[in-house]
Amino acid sequence: MKKLKKISKVISTSLALSLVLAACSDKEEGSSNSNNSGGDKDEKVTIVYARGKDDTQGTTAMVEAFEKKYPNINVDFKEMPADTGKQHDAYVTAFNANSDEIDVVDLDVIWPAEFAQAGFLMPLDRFMEKDGINPDDYNQGAITASKFKGKQWALPKFIDAGMLFYRTDLVDEGSVPKTWDELLAKAKETKGQGGTQFGYLMQAKQYEGLVCNAVEFIASYGGQIIDENGDVKVDSPESIKGIAKLVEVANSDVVPQNVTTFAEPESHTAFINGQAGLIRNWPYQFALANDEKQSKIAGKVGVAPLPAGDAGSAAALGGWMAGINKNTKHPEEAWKFLSFMAGKEGQKIDAIKGGHAPTILSLYEDQEILDANPYFKEEGFVNALEAAVSRPVAPNYPEISDIIQVQVSQAVAKKITPEQAAKNMQKEISAKLVK
Amino acid sequence: MPNNQKPIATKTNQKAKKKRSDRSLGYMLIAPSMILILIIAIWPVFQSFYYSMFDLRLNNPAKSEAYVSYKVNLQTYLDNYPFLISSLEDELDEATGKTKTELEAIKTNLEKVDAELKSDQELSSKYDEVDEKLTVMEPISEELAVSDLDKEVALDLEKAVTDSSERIRELKGELQNPEDVIGLSASLKDSVITPNFIGLKHYKENLTDSRMWKAIQNTTVFTVISVFAELVIGLAIALLINKAFFGRGLVRATILIPWAIPTAVSAFMWKYLYDGQNGIVAKAFAEIGLFDQMTDMLTTSTGAMFAVIFADVWKTTPYMALLLLAGLQTIPSSLYEAAAIDGASKWKQFLKITLPLLKSSILVALLFRTLDAFRVFDLIYVLTGGGPANSTETISILAYKVMFAQTNFGEGSALSVIVFICVAIISMIYIKFLGRDLLNDK
Repeated sequence: MKKLKKISKVISTSLALSLVLAACSDKEEGSSNSNNSGGDKDEKVTIVYARGKDDTQGTTAMVEAFEKKYPNINVDFKEMPADTGKQHDAYVTAFNANSDEIDVVDLDVIWPAEFAQAGFLMPLDRFMEKDGINPDDYNQGAITASKFKGKQWALPKFIDAGMLFYRTDLVDEGSVPKTWDELLAKAKETKGQGGTQFGYLMQAKQYEGLVCNAVEFIASYGGQIIDENGDVKVDSPESIKGIAKLVEVANSDVVPQNVTTFAEPESHTAFINGQAGLIRNWPYQFALANDEKQSKIAGKVGVAPLPAGDAGSAAALGGWMAGINKNTKHPEEAWKFLSFMAGKEGQKIDAIKGGHAPTILSLYEDQEILDANPYFKEEGFVNALEAAVSRPVAPNYPEISDIIQVQVSQAVAKKITPEQAAKNMQKEISAKLVK
Repeated sequence: MPNNQKPIATKTNQKAKKKRSDRSLGYMLIAPSMILILIIAIWPVFQSFYYSMFDLRLNNPAKSEAYVSYKVNLQTYLDNYPFLISSLEDELDEATGKTKTELEAIKTNLEKVDAELKSDQELSSKYDEVDEKLTVMEPISEELAVSDLDKEVALDLEKAVTDSSERIRELKGELQNPEDVIGLSASLKDSVITPNFIGLKHYKENLTDSRMWKAIQNTTVFTVISVFAELVIGLAIALLINKAFFGRGLVRATILIPWAIPTAVSAFMWKYLYDGQNGIVAKAFAEIGLFDQMTDMLTTSTGAMFAVIFADVWKTTPYMALLLLAGLQTIPSSLYEAAAIDGASKWKQFLKITLPLLKSSILVALLFRTLDAFRVFDLIYVLTGGGPANSTETISILAYKVMFAQTNFGEGSALSVIVFICVAIISMIYIKFLGRDLLNDK
């Protein structure tokens, strides 16, 4: 009997506790509701915007401008891991639990198909129609990447493409390598000059960046991994040629011997320390290399499209977009923020303060943006953006990426030949691809 | 006599009763711990095993849970069906001849199944409710959106949707906005939820996958070499710090530092030490001729495997030494004194006294470390990420990649169960062949 009493006591206490807790949370909501009741104009809504770490001032300045324009909307940051793979895993966990704690979310260019398929995002077509946003104003590669099954799931914020950066004191503008063979020759020639240890830097670690490098080599020789109909086409003579060239470059003596441990941080650190004359990297490299606080080569950096193979030059499409959580409690406000951020005003601020390349084409004629980023005017830069090739679009992209990473990495390590790598990729991607 | 018998009978009866109540009291006392063990140890394994028998993918709404019956997701359905019908109507206005009849056939086919859906009383009310909420853009709860479906209706629906999706794909060239219609019909397919129970298929696939076997092989190589090295070096260190010498306390404390550093931190530290350009350790190994070049440490398969084993030995040898030291201190020093008087050499003393008496400590330490090493994750995840070319990918790393990066929960669970089975086998081997001695010693 005593025991029973005790148990009932425990139960009643815990019940009381949970009631108190529930009351507390009710109160919180109640208080925000009471704010709301003051009329539509005074309604203060807080939305949560999740993004990876941004080292530049771009995002903060953009959010300040937004809050100034819409005083009734408050934007809170939710900082996520900077590593795109880890960020992806964190979002998947949160969204899969139907969490509503994130309202607006940043998306890497490779995620929209997966997130749309999984039902994590809100389709934006209705909003876009209402506000008259025309997808034709945007860079088409970026718009295509944010569409899936005929619907728009995100808006592109900024665009990235793989590019060749060079030291102007070592490489004359006239002799910038135009083909991969010229690149190897030039890298050999400049290696050791001007305090350099290497000729060329790239990313060959077994990670997402290797997929970008591989896509660039394959496309520059006219190959494809998945064609526009969604068929796997990687086992072709062109693709094999591209992979073989990647293996050749990664195993040549102009790149660091441990280039298979190089991701972006390793390669840009070596470049800004003046250890190499040429590097393949994303546009942020330009601003970083000209930052006098960190860089030993400030003012001596040029940019050009990546070298060409048999079929011309190709750059991997990168960049970030933003979408709205399907479970958000404030879809209207979230859309206001998203359309501001990915619209002209937001992108302009981010381009000036953050050095990110806009996805809205007309912004490349904006004098303020060009003053802040003089290289946006350079032909090589604009051409590279236009030639950007997207990575395979599939709702199970991480699986496809993993296959490419493993096979290309083994080819670079010379454990298998480029022919075998192409054959294995063809077989494994065909088996795993979800259309 | 008969008078006597009765009390005895009752007595034994009482005794038995008492015994029984004692026993049930005993069970009652251990019940909480049994329940705890069930909840903490057995339940997760059972849960993983259960999930491993489903084709479970977080990034696919029709497979994001373990479904054993047919269901329909009304939200997905109503998000696409009306739009698909209206797009089809738009196309019909423009189409002519064969395309027109084909489109009409597709449309009637879809409408027929839609009517079939609505004919179910319960479903039809939910259908209307979801439709209403969608028009005013209100959030829809999972319970409302997902409803059970008759198997026949579900199969009809699936067939109709798949059929029309294929037929529309074939018409691609003739349509005004092929992307929209194809996209909508493909999305509509996601609204039908079919049971995703696949039995032991994940196991079959994994057991025939060379990548998994390579991962098991890497794990085994890592475990055997690192545990052996740790045992030898740990024993040497334990013997050393068991001796009385000046500053012994300080040595004992400092030796524990590697073990006290969080694994992820020490993995980062080793990453810099092994770096091909600036790493001191890489430089030292290249100087003494262990490697041809500094860069070989993290870029070649053997180099990377050596690198992770070396870091692991550095990190966990102190733990091994500590366990063995505890065992050494239980050996009475009188044994050594007696042996010394009998004229036994130090080596003989070690072989005849230390090793036999230390046996149980060694076994416990080995068991702990083997199981630990077999599940290695954080060290390798930070140091090499499984590369280069998968040469350091252990079974836990593979399971993580499949489960979280690829969000393939079913297959990831299968891999976790395989890890569990391997660990169970290792424990059984230890207990079967060595455990006997362990029990006899005491």
